[in-house]
Formats: sequence, structure tokens, C-alpha cells
Amino acid sequence: MFRRLAAWIDDRIGGSAFAESALSKVFPDHWSFMLGEIALYSFVVLVITGVFLTFFFDPSVAETTYQGDYEPLQGVTMSEAYRSVVDLSYDVRAGLVMRQAHHWAAIVFIGALVLHVLRVFFTGAFRRPREINWVLGVTLLILALFNGFTGYSLPDDLLSGTGLRIAYSIALSVPVIGTWLAFLVFGGEFPAQEIIPRLFVTHIMIVPAAIAALVSVHLALIWHQKHTDFAVGPARRESNVVGPKLWPTYAAYSVGLFFAVFAVIMAMGGLVQINPVWLYGPFRPAEVPSPAQPDWWLGWAEGALRIFPPWEIRAFGYEVPNPFYPGVIVPTITFGALYLWPFLEARFTGDRGPHHLLDRARDHPVRTAFGITALSFFVLLQLAASNDLLAHWFDASVATISWFFRIAVPVVPLVLGWFTYRLMVALRASGAERFAEMPLRAVVRPAGDGERPAVAEATAAPVPDGELTVYPEPDGRWRWRYRRPADDLELHSNKSYVTADDAEHSARQAFPEAPLVSSGD
Amino acid sequence: MRPGRVAVLTALVPALVAGACSYFREPEPYRPPASYGRPDAEALALGQRLYQRDCSFCHGNEGQGTPQGPDLVTGENGPALTDFMLRTGRMPIDDPDEEARAGDSPYDGDEIAALVAYIDDAFDQPGTDIPVVDPADGDLAEGRDVYAENCAACHATTGIGGAMLAQRGGKTTGVFIPDFARTSPTEVGEAARTGPGAMPAFGPGVIDDGELDSLARYVEYLEDPDDRGGAPIGRIGPVAEGAVGWVLGLGVLVVFIRWVGTKRGEEAR
Amino acid sequence: MNGGRRRILAAFGASMAASVGLTVVYALGGQPQIEGALLGVALGGIAVGLVLFAHRMLPGGRFAEPRDVVPRATAQRPGVAAAFEAGAEPFERRRLIATAFAGSLALLGVAALFPIRSLGTRPGRQLDHTSWRRGRRAVTVAGRPLRVDDLDLNSVVTVFPEGHEDAADSQTLLIRLPAGVPAPGPREWSTSGVVAFSKVCTHAGCPVGLYQAETQELFCPCHQSTFSVPEGAKPTFGPATRPLPQLPIGLDDDGYVTALSDYTEPVGPGFWNRPDG
Repeated sequence: MFRRLAAWIDDRIGGSAFAESALSKVFPDHWSFMLGEIALYSFVVLVITGVFLTFFFDPSVAETTYQGDYEPLQGVTMSEAYRSVVDLSYDVRAGLVMRQAHHWAAIVFIGALVLHVLRVFFTGAFRRPREINWVLGVTLLILALFNGFTGYSLPDDLLSGTGLRIAYSIALSVPVIGTWLAFLVFGGEFPAQEIIPRLFVTHIMIVPAAIAALVSVHLALIWHQKHTDFAVGPARRESNVVGPKLWPTYAAYSVGLFFAVFAVIMAMGGLVQINPVWLYGPFRPAEVPSPAQPDWWLGWAEGALRIFPPWEIRAFGYEVPNPFYPGVIVPTITFGALYLWPFLEARFTGDRGPHHLLDRARDHPVRTAFGITALSFFVLLQLAASNDLLAHWFDASVATISWFFRIAVPVVPLVLGWFTYRLMVALRASGAERFAEMPLRAVVRPAGDGERPAVAEATAAPVPDGELTVYPEPDGRWRWRYRRPADDLELHSNKSYVTADDAEHSARQAFPEAPLVSSGD
Repeated sequence: MRPGRVAVLTALVPALVAGACSYFREPEPYRPPASYGRPDAEALALGQRLYQRDCSFCHGNEGQGTPQGPDLVTGENGPALTDFMLRTGRMPIDDPDEEARAGDSPYDGDEIAALVAYIDDAFDQPGTDIPVVDPADGDLAEGRDVYAENCAACHATTGIGGAMLAQRGGKTTGVFIPDFARTSPTEVGEAARTGPGAMPAFGPGVIDDGELDSLARYVEYLEDPDDRGGAPIGRIGPVAEGAVGWVLGLGVLVVFIRWVGTKRGEEAR
Repeated sequence: MNGGRRRILAAFGASMAASVGLTVVYALGGQPQIEGALLGVALGGIAVGLVLFAHRMLPGGRFAEPRDVVPRATAQRPGVAAAFEAGAEPFERRRLIATAFAGSLALLGVAALFPIRSLGTRPGRQLDHTSWRRGRRAVTVAGRPLRVDDLDLNSVVTVFPEGHEDAADSQTLLIRLPAGVPAPGPREWSTSGVVAFSKVCTHAGCPVGLYQAETQELFCPCHQSTFSVPEGAKPTFGPATRPLPQLPIGLDDDGYVTALSDYTEPVGPGFWNRPDG
């Protein structure tokens, strides 16, 4: 059956060669390489649940009177948008699970994106030849954050309206063009009627289409360039990829992961309440929710807005208002630095060569230290966004909490970065395989170059490389294998070749230095 | 099935059913406390005794106030405010510097009534009487509107309380805003009418008596609102949602990929 | 039956049972928590079953594939360059035509930008004024006009200009100060200890909804800017840099609180060409 279908397609559009190499494509299966897959699959869940929601959501700010099942809102005047979200939660069967799953999926999606970016950053996977994919990835992150915000704003409840209010004020703060920018985006002075329908089209069509397109290119490039891998053991080299084949093993892993992502998100969608807009009430311009935080992915920007001192520039009759600095400058620097990092690093290290094997954190102490500095900076800003809640919980003054962050945000990341640098240098010098195995004194008094402790590779006797063998299969096609008895290691070529020469060529490409013994068994 | 198990099951099932029923049972209809009426001499004497023992040190023998505490004869001071402060355990405090916080009252109901009556009677207070609040007369939707317009900004949209600031003596200090746990409808009315502590007062010109009933009903509702979505995770909004998303959502998934994928040392080298 | 196989079948079995359960729950009217739990089992069972199966019964990671350290076929680059340059040569030779072509594209692009202008109204001086006018009464959001005595001492109510109860930029806090606290601002701007300040935060525009009666301070829940009413709503903490603008108010003939004019400076957050107050 499969053969007949494959033949039918191959007769018409070809593609057998591609299909063969695709099915036997090798994927390294280190767990951290699946973070990006979590993001991919939560995006799929976002699309599935989102399509369901579009059938019920009404992006209209026309006024209506609520007559649904939720008693505290009965007879209350509200927008059709808000009414339709409350109806989705109360009157549409399975609607609430879908709505909540959609929101949880967004939280998991962007979280997985951040973890994925961190993995790529700390392992140096962005280096040549993968700079293009890094740039695509950062763009995807920005699009995801943006679509997260537009989604948060759609229900037209009190919390989301307040978020829009702040977004409008940030747009207004841009020098020279701010008022035009705010008026064109929102359709006029806040709260203009146009913004909800505009956000809707942006949220369900424009940005998701852009994300889907960029994800396709991102994946195509990963496919084409093949995945990076850690330099573990003798087999993994710049010139090869080692792991299970796509069909059937990696496909089973990946489909399994899709179902796991789907399962976790749907379970949370039913079991953990998120964004209960019926409690927040409809948006009214003179009311304000409290506490008022954005979804977590904008927490860092909210934190910056909260703790930024009351400074602004006013000169010659013009002003650059306070929200511009935390609300525009900080994100611009953040994403600018993310975009440029691969190019900056190549420039400052002078390392412009191709890399397919990954770094460990210690291999590049400056990069690791910079990453920790940036990460702790954003984590602290994230915490600062909860200064009012922290004040309530710890029974402290909001001012004290804010001042703590005003000092900690610039200071703590630098201290942590410096400490990380020392730690990574010491770890590298100690030659310990694992972090926990590093002797404590190596941190306290890192060895200088002169007294560097014996490193494993300096003392260990050179191990001979494994042997390559090209061998025929029963059907007459050829494979090769790499064998190193010293490690009890045997790897096979992922696919078979028509001629022994092709197989040999492939083997030599994968293991250039290994000796080829005569074609055996 | 063995007899032992049958016995356990027969005991368990009614217990579970009873538990479920008590969970879903309508709360007792609210009854406003009986009006204090004309105080009798005995009650006034008790009130005086308690006042001299517990209150006069700070508020003065004539309620005129001292450096340790404010007077009880001006502003909103009246039975409603006295009753609120005593009933919620905010007064008495041991140390004049201590902030008045809700807690368990050391007095029983009769003692509170005696104190309220004595203080009003002896000092001729200007403030309002204890309001008669009956949530059963209120309308939930109207209460929600009143709450959203007047209360939500400070006490939080979901009634969990909050924090704000005050410049006291040239220093910026924190102000704790309480939640509504254990707040009775009468206390809601008293607080709204008198504005205890940092809270402003809301007279009948802003919230009329009918709206006050509705407000009390909505506040009562907020203590146990409809969490149709599942675990309410504190009803504090995106902060808790983000934390749960990371710990539970991403946490479980990271454990899952750790199980699916290899780690250092177990890969096919 | 060995343990591995049993576990895999149990996972898929749990999934199937949960899916049947889902159908039943849905048919009975649905319940979010049960739906979520069953969906978790139905999908999670497949996830666990597949991975268990792959771990135990599918070939592992003992395969290798060669990769190009640098892209192959760099030898073709000169060919690409030559092909492009040969095709571009006629454009280069006929400069004028090429320039005209580029010019028409550029101008079309500029013309295509103009519809962006349709997205919103012209800002003009809209941000400089609100709906308050001389003689407009201050009313609650429900349209109820207010006398001074409707406000308790040391209390606050949100008001709008009568007939403009939905004007977001006009939301105003009417505050009756306690005895002994002098009203800030010009003497004729307040009446009987009642003052009016814009409710729109001068930082990011949130309604400054929290009134702290003890020291008469206003607090914004969005970014914690604090404003001292007795000092003319001057910011005392947080990111706000400017006081909340004060609305001049008086009483009309019927004793209702009424505006004496519009705000004398723009309310709300700052912008590039905001006139000085």
C-alpha cells in the first residue's frame, strides 16, 4: 500500500531521493535540543485552540447589555467583545477550557522560546553558519511577544484595557512622531473605537502568518544545515551528525512530545484558572484594576516602567517623557543586542570559522558571564513588576521594595556576571568534567596559566581513531560503519548507497581521519 | 469483595456525599446584628469599666485624645467606627506605635456593645450609627459596579488587598490594604460609611443605602467567587499565572524532554 | 506479557478510556475541570505510550550522517555572479531607463504609504484639552450632579463633565479635604474645601484610583506614582514627574459643583510637543 502510494507520487512529482534521505535523517537527541520543539508544538496548540475561539469571539466595541449566566454581570453594559469572552467562558460548551488552554499555551510558548534562546546562546549554536537562523529566531521571539500582548488586549476587560492604556502612553512618548504614532495605531485619542478590531486582525492573521512563515524557514534551515551537537566522545565531529534516525525513532519522540505539550496545556486549561475576565469586569476608562500586571513575557518591561526614577528631558519647549526610556529604549537595546550578538562576538573573538559542535558554558567564560548578567537583569526587572504584591505579602513599603530594585537591577547582574566569569575560568582550568566535581579551592584561588592543574587531554595517552568499513547489504546496496572497540562503539551510516564508492565517500566525509579497512563482511 | 472493604466503603460513601453537599451548600442567609437599642445602665457601667481599663490611656478619660492616640469626639467618630475597630480586632492595641490590624477581638459581643454604647453616650460622638446592612436586599450586579468604581483600586479587583504609600513625617512609609477575609456585611457598611484609618469615607451621597446592601453582597461574593476555570491560584492575575505556567507547564515539559532525550554520558557516542 | 509492553498498552488504554469519558462529559453538558483532566489523560497517554515504545522497541541513536562543514559547490559562485551580471548589463547600459524604472517604483512606494494616514485622526491639539468647559457640572459616571455635602469630609468621588460621562480624558477626582487641611492651588479654584484633580496619571495614563485619607495622597496602581493632594498633587514617589493638573471648580446657582473652565494644561502622560503648564 505504502509502496503504491509512494510510486504514484514519485511518478508525478518525483522526490524519492529526498524522501529517502529525509526518513533516514539523523537527529541528535540531547534533551535540551527539544526546547525549541516545545515552542513549536505549543504554537500548533495555539493555532488549534485559537481557531476555535475565533468562531465565538466578536471583535466589536459596540455596546450591549449582558444577559448571560454569570450573575454579577447581569444587566451590565459592556462591549460585544467582552460579552463574547464571558459567553465563551460560561455559555459555550468546552469554551472555557479552550480559552484557558489558549492562554496557557501562550505562556508555555514564550517560555519555551526563551529557554530555547538561552540554550542556543550559552552553547554558542548561533555561530557561523547559523547567524541567519539566530536572527530569524530573535524575530520570532519579538513576534511572539507582540502577539501575546495583542491577545491579552482583545477581551476588552478592565485589565487588558489598562494594558492598552499604557501601550498608548508609551507610543505617545516617542519623540517627534509620538502623537501621530499613537493616533494612527489606536485610531485617535485613547480609548478609540478602532483598536479592538485592529488588534483582532493583527492577532489572528497578520502575526500568526508571519510566525508560521518564519518558523518554516527556521526549520528548513535547521534541516538543511543539520543540527549542532555537543562534542562528547570520539564519534562526534564537526563533519558528522550522530543520533537516531528520523524514521521511526525520532518521529516517535517528536510526536510523543507534541502530545505531551498538548496534554499539559489542555490539562492546565481545565484545571488552573487563568485570566478570569468575569471577575475583572468590562473596561471602563475611569476604573483601574489592582494589581495590574501584564502577562509574564512583558513583566520585565513593566518592571522597568515601575522602578525607573522620575526623570525626563524637557528642553526648547519639547519633551521626551519618562515612559520613553524604560518603555522604548530598554526594549530597543534588548533586542538590538540580541540581534547583533553573533556578529559582535565574531568581531571581538576574531573567530569567524564554521562551528557545528557546541560550546559548554566554561568554554567561553565571557559569553557565559554576559549571558548571566543579562539574564539576571531581566529576572530582577521581572520581579520588580510585582513590587506592589511583594509589598503586600512582606508587609513592606512599596517604596522600600522599589528602591531595593532600583539599586539591585544595575548592581546585582554585574556582580553575578563577574562571579560567573571567575567560576567559568576556574572550571575550565580545573579540568573537571562536571561542575560538581570541581574542587572548591579552584574557585577561591583560580589557577593561573602557569600552575594549571593537569588537564585530562594532556595526560591521557592518545587514543587511536576508530575504523571505517564499507559493506554490502543483502539487497545489493552499500552501507558503512564506524567502529572503535576501545569504547565498544559502533555507528552505522544512516542510509544505504547504490555503489561502494558512494558509501566510501560518505564515510570519509563523516570521519575524515579514520582509516578505511577493506570492505568486509 | 471482603466484608471489611464493604464496611469501609459504606462508611466512606456517605462521608464523601456529605462532604460534597457541604461544599456546594448555600451559605446561611445573612442576618444583620440586632440593633443595640437604648443601652441599659448595666451595659454602660461595663463599657465604662472596659474603657477606663483598655482605652483611656491613649484616647483620654474624656475621649479627648492624648499624644498616644487620636480623639474620639470629632470627624467620623461614632458607634459605626467604634464598632468596626473593636469588632475586627483593630482595637485595642498594646503599643500606641503599633499599626491597627484586623485580628481576633479580646471582647465578646456584649462587651463590644457595651463599649460602643458607653463611648457614644459619654462623649456625645458626631459620627454615624451602625448602619443596617442586609446583603439579601442587595443586587449582585449593582454591587459589582459600586465595588469596581469605589473599592477595587485599593482592595484589588478580586478583593485580595494591596499596598500604597504615605508621607509621614517626611518619610515615605508603606500602607497595608487588607483583604476581606472574615469581613461581615455590617463591617463592610461601617468601613464604607466611616473610612477607618487610611480609607476614605463614602457617604450616602456617593453610595446610597441600597447600593451599600448591594456592595456588601458583592464583597461577600468575592470571598468565595465563582472559580469556574479551576484552581484560582490566589486570584492575583498574571503574576501567579506566569509563575504557574513556568513551574507547572514548562516544568513538566522539561522533565518530559529529559526523559525522552539523552543527557551527557548516555548518548550513543 | 512483559512489563514494557504492558506499560505501553496501559498508556494507550488510559488515553482511549479518557477519550470515551470526554465524549460522555461533553454530552452531559460539560464541566471544565473534568474536561481538562480527561484531555490531559487522553493526550498524555499517547505521549507516554509513544515514547515508551520508542525507548524500548525502536532502534536507538547509533547512526551517523556526514555533514558539510562549509557549504559545498562554492565552485559555482563565479557562475552565479556571471549569470547575474550578464543579465544586469542591459540595465546598466541604458541608465536613463533603469533610473526611470527605479524612480517609478520609489514614487509608487511613497504614494502607497499615504493610506496609512487613514488609520487615525490628526492629533492636532486634541491632547491639550478635555471636555470640561466653564459652567459644566461635575457628575458621577451615572450622571448624578453633586453638592458639597454629598461628599463626606476626607472622601473622594470620580466625576465627569455633565453630558460627557464617557470622556476618558475628562475623568476627574473630586476630593473633599478634611477640616484643617488648606485647599491647594489658587483660592478661586476650589470651593468649601473641595478640590478637583485629573484622574489620569501624568506618567502612563492609568486612572489614579487610590486615595489615602490619612495624608490625602493619591496612588496609581500601575506604576506606584504617588501624589500629595495638599501640595497640589505633586508627585512624591514613583516614576511620575509632573503633578496631576487641577481643575478650577466652583458652585452653580443650585449649589452643584461646576467647572470654572477646562484644565489649563494638558492632562495625562507627556508627549513631544506638550505645552508647558
